[in-house]
Amino acid sequence: MQPLTAKQKQDSRYAVIVPNIIAFVLVGIARYAVPQDDAFTGASGVFVFSTFVIVPVLMGLVGAYFWRDLQRKTIRYIGLAVINTLIAVVLSVVFLREGIICLLIVSPLVLIFVTAGTLLGKVIFRRRNNTINVSLVGALLLVFAVDVLSDHEFTAKVSDTIIVNAPVEKVWPLVVEYEPITQKENYWLFKIGMPSPVQSTVDGHEAGAGRKCIFSNGYVFDEKMVVYKPNEELTFDIVSQPRDPEIMGHIDIQRGQFILMDNGNGTTTLIGNSWYKLYVFPVVYFDAWAESITRNVHLRVMDHIKTQAEAGV
Amino acid sequence: MFDFVVKYFGFLKHVPILPHLFEALLRLGTVASNRFVLDYMDDIENTVLSWDKTSIQPHKFGGVQFNVGNREIGHIHGNGLVDVPFKRSTKEELIIESKGKVKEHHIFKKSGWISLYVQNTADKDLAIRVLMRSYEEKF
Repeated sequence: MQPLTAKQKQDSRYAVIVPNIIAFVLVGIARYAVPQDDAFTGASGVFVFSTFVIVPVLMGLVGAYFWRDLQRKTIRYIGLAVINTLIAVVLSVVFLREGIICLLIVSPLVLIFVTAGTLLGKVIFRRRNNTINVSLVGALLLVFAVDVLSDHEFTAKVSDTIIVNAPVEKVWPLVVEYEPITQKENYWLFKIGMPSPVQSTVDGHEAGAGRKCIFSNGYVFDEKMVVYKPNEELTFDIVSQPRDPEIMGHIDIQRGQFILMDNGNGTTTLIGNSWYKLYVFPVVYFDAWAESITRNVHLRVMDHIKTQAEAGV
Repeated sequence: MFDFVVKYFGFLKHVPILPHLFEALLRLGTVASNRFVLDYMDDIENTVLSWDKTSIQPHKFGGVQFNVGNREIGHIHGNGLVDVPFKRSTKEELIIESKGKVKEHHIFKKSGWISLYVQNTADKDLAIRVLMRSYEEKF
């Protein structure tokens, strides 16, 4: 292998530096251009789909552009994509104060799109057709601009059902409030540090009373019970929730609900519902995570209620 | 898996970026399973580009397409799958000559297209010979 010329060394460096500067600027523009949520939710900002799709593709294209004369192998282009992804992740920790779990969720998405952009760039910059190349970058920037200036709203509901082998009268008190959950975590995100629900307390037994859901790291969700029908339904709105650098900054749980149905044979069907709002896009990727996390929050609480009710607590 | 995606989700090739996303996933998978395949693919690409009047462009499914003038010589996907268009009679010849290494196209079995997987140096050499034949027919 021939030693690199000064120009080639410079291009090698630019293939790492320039894409990250561009990403930094574009993500900054996206964050300040997209309206932030109000003081109630205090969400740490909307991340539009361009942040995780268009920007990484552009990063890859720009990196490949600086490598266009270096005739490097594909495996090295993939290495370039990995390095640029890692740097982008580190910059997110420093400047966006994102948490480790959040980055763990985001990194595969960013890596795949940076790799796609890098490999696409490897092919198109070999063609030497500058008209097409400029058009492609222009089209991506146009999509970015339209996306940033568009409204972003996504709410969803997750529902889970379990059968409790205890009468509804035994289940209801545990739905309203329960003692600390001592069972070991069995969801991998909880195991690596994502807060999981531990205990629920109430300051009254009627609609309008307050309820608190306490999480493993001490976070408290303040709730207000809006429907209180003993042995039938408990619905509560979330009045305030903690913000932290992890996923909780990117999702708002808006409402929770437990529905109890007497099966007439000494067992109870317990349904847990949650409504949430996402602040990260594309929905097709992040909602899969949000649904999984919400489902595991449900199941941790509902399994605890089942265990306690069946033990006759 | 590859065939399944191409057969049932092929219509998504019209969604911008998705084919390249698919190609990136294929290549990342190849890095994990047999990274030398990527080197063989680079050798094929460099060899084809050394022929007169050839060029490359992104393939509609995200791979790399080789052209001579405006005509396609063939294309290669990120998992090392090379597809080359021929007349049906040439396809039959190639399948017999290669003792089955060259196969019918992985999706369009009744067409003149052939497919072969590049997994080692011998496959790479065969792919280059097949692409050369396609090049000579179209040049």
